[in-house]
Amino acid sequence: MSKFNFPFISETKELSNLRKEVRKFISEALINKEFEPAADGWVFSANPNFSKKLGSKGWLGMSFPKKYGGNEKTTLERYIVTEELLASGAPVAAHWIADRQSGSQILRYGTEEQKQSIIPKITSGECFFAIGMSEPDSGSDLASVKTKATKTDDGWILEGRKIWSTGAHLSNYMIVLARTSPASEKNRHEGLSQFLVDLSLPNVGIKGIPDMSGQRHFNETLFDKVKLPKDALLGSEGKGWEQVVGELALERSGPERFLSHFCLLENFINQFRHVLVKSGSQLIGRLIAELQTLRRMSFSVASMLQNGESPETQAAFVKELGNRFEKMMIESLREFSNIIPLYEWPNQLQNLFEDATLRIPSNSLRGGTTEIMRGIIARQLGLR
Amino acid sequence: MNEEIQIILETTEKVLQKNINHQLRQNIDQKNNDLINLWNEVEEIGLPKIVVKEKFDGFNLEFASVLPIIQLSNSLGAPIPLSETILCNYILSECDINPPEGMITFANVSKNIKISGNELSGELISVPYLNLTDKIMFITKIDGVEKVVFLQNSNLDIEQKKNFLAEPRFNVNLKNNNIIEIKTLNPKINFNYLGAILRSAQMIGSMEKILNLSIDYCSQRKQFGRPLSKFQAIQHQISEMAVELSASSAALSTIASSEDLSKNIYDIAILKIRTGIAAGKIIAISHQVHGAIGFTKEYELAYFTKNLNSWRNDFGNESYWEEFLGKDFLENSNKNLWEYLTY
Repeated sequence: MSKFNFPFISETKELSNLRKEVRKFISEALINKEFEPAADGWVFSANPNFSKKLGSKGWLGMSFPKKYGGNEKTTLERYIVTEELLASGAPVAAHWIADRQSGSQILRYGTEEQKQSIIPKITSGECFFAIGMSEPDSGSDLASVKTKATKTDDGWILEGRKIWSTGAHLSNYMIVLARTSPASEKNRHEGLSQFLVDLSLPNVGIKGIPDMSGQRHFNETLFDKVKLPKDALLGSEGKGWEQVVGELALERSGPERFLSHFCLLENFINQFRHVLVKSGSQLIGRLIAELQTLRRMSFSVASMLQNGESPETQAAFVKELGNRFEKMMIESLREFSNIIPLYEWPNQLQNLFEDATLRIPSNSLRGGTTEIMRGIIARQLGLR
Repeated sequence: MNEEIQIILETTEKVLQKNINHQLRQNIDQKNNDLINLWNEVEEIGLPKIVVKEKFDGFNLEFASVLPIIQLSNSLGAPIPLSETILCNYILSECDINPPEGMITFANVSKNIKISGNELSGELISVPYLNLTDKIMFITKIDGVEKVVFLQNSNLDIEQKKNFLAEPRFNVNLKNNNIIEIKTLNPKINFNYLGAILRSAQMIGSMEKILNLSIDYCSQRKQFGRPLSKFQAIQHQISEMAVELSASSAALSTIASSEDLSKNIYDIAILKIRTGIAAGKIIAISHQVHGAIGFTKEYELAYFTKNLNSWRNDFGNESYWEEFLGKDFLENSNKNLWEYLTY
């Protein structure tokens, strides 16, 4: 059952040094008040200036080839950088999707021209991406998308709607999954294609959807017969499903699946350490055990990605366990308020806790629901 | 995994599969011939001494490197103290005591141990496998110094008890018993840590078996006109078992690659906590998806779930290690949590 194994990968001296370097960079940014630590910073906290700064450090698209502005670093090095940024609650939302999945997707499937025109802007932190998968009538059932791209003499006409696209209103591009030919009766996964859509084109309408906290981060995007050039097609016509599945492995296995609210936990412990020593060491021990196991699993998946493997199943394990850990952590903090009531918590901690509580329902929805993760695992177990 | 371990794994699997059936596990109260035969075969291929020094006729492997073998033998449900003997022999060998032939068990709880001359008194509590062997190893503190004691006596004053799962356990009343060997414990050996690792590896092996039993059973059993495995509610339950198992295996792989186990207390705590949590969930889910048959003596499942439930309490349960880990961070380190996690 090799798909259920997570070989231990140790952090080398070089990686630890990189970690220190990133940590120093972050603490300086904090001293200069460049950002305020935020829960779910990779979704909610967009700061294009901060993204640009990371780009100039060589920490965006860091595993990409040098000829496209990348740094040719390993996936493990990228893992270290993202871990440090997430743990500190840094404002990384602007570039997150471009750095995590869109850039890799273009490098893997794009034409030379697409690579040259877009990748250098991703690595410099000047080109942001949104995900164009879900639609009003297609959520977990991704293969049922209805957005349609019709071939014309000089390109494509794109028609349809995408929804829940985080940061689309701040992004330059969206990778849109669209139908280019009808699904065959036998295989619904046929006839889908991916498109690189420039969001500044005419007839693209982006409308924010306030979430339950009233904040805007996700959007509905309308493509009203948008004219796309020929080279908007990403990869092969009709191979959109295979392409999107690989993209999801990048999306699901990372440390954002369990470190999104870490800055809340850290702040909480710093605040109440003296109380926790007396009545919370068991809880903290439990959290450490769960979190450290997740870190190792996710790091192990990063190494599989580095080796060119396709760890879609392992990614599902990390996401499922990580989402569960985050929910449990926030629940435990709520229960602690029995000892020190919430209204006595310092303001900054109260705000972090409020944000976490209002955002946590989405952690097991975005990037594939719990039910989808369990379905993927069940298939590997031979149950489906 | 190196080639040597791979070969031992293959041989172990062959020998155990040939000699184990569920019938064998149903009469472990008695010292029956089939169990003795099984033991003899295991001894024949040298398994009990794989971590013993060469000068004592062992294979001289690292304890961490044989964890996959312990995992395997428990996934096959060998009802003999093979894992226990491997650990005892390792500790004896490291303390320069020539390990005996045959099965040996350990006592992890002892009371009022006193030694005068070559005579021993006190109590050993809840010792497993004394129906099969009269050799016991335990660790005790004498005048502030940790000692390893090896006892062998067919006339031990033994009281048969049971643990909370009705599995046979024995209390031993030591009154002026002869010690066969006593030595100062090698400082690199920590019985509690090694025991926690051993039990975790055994649990992970058992959980692999339980997962496979659940998959097989649900794929064959039909209700409402289709196999149980085609019901999404069942698929999701079994997926959760796989998730728990994978987290435990990940924690074990950290230990298996560590160079000095005695310095790795932090990862041992994580392993025992993570495996204990997984065991609780896997026991509950596996029985639920099996329905009534899993609750019977004649079917294999309960043999494995009882082992799990018992082992997760040995050498510190989840709460014990959580408290330990929490205190280590909160009291003993002056780091914030992120620094503590990333060292």
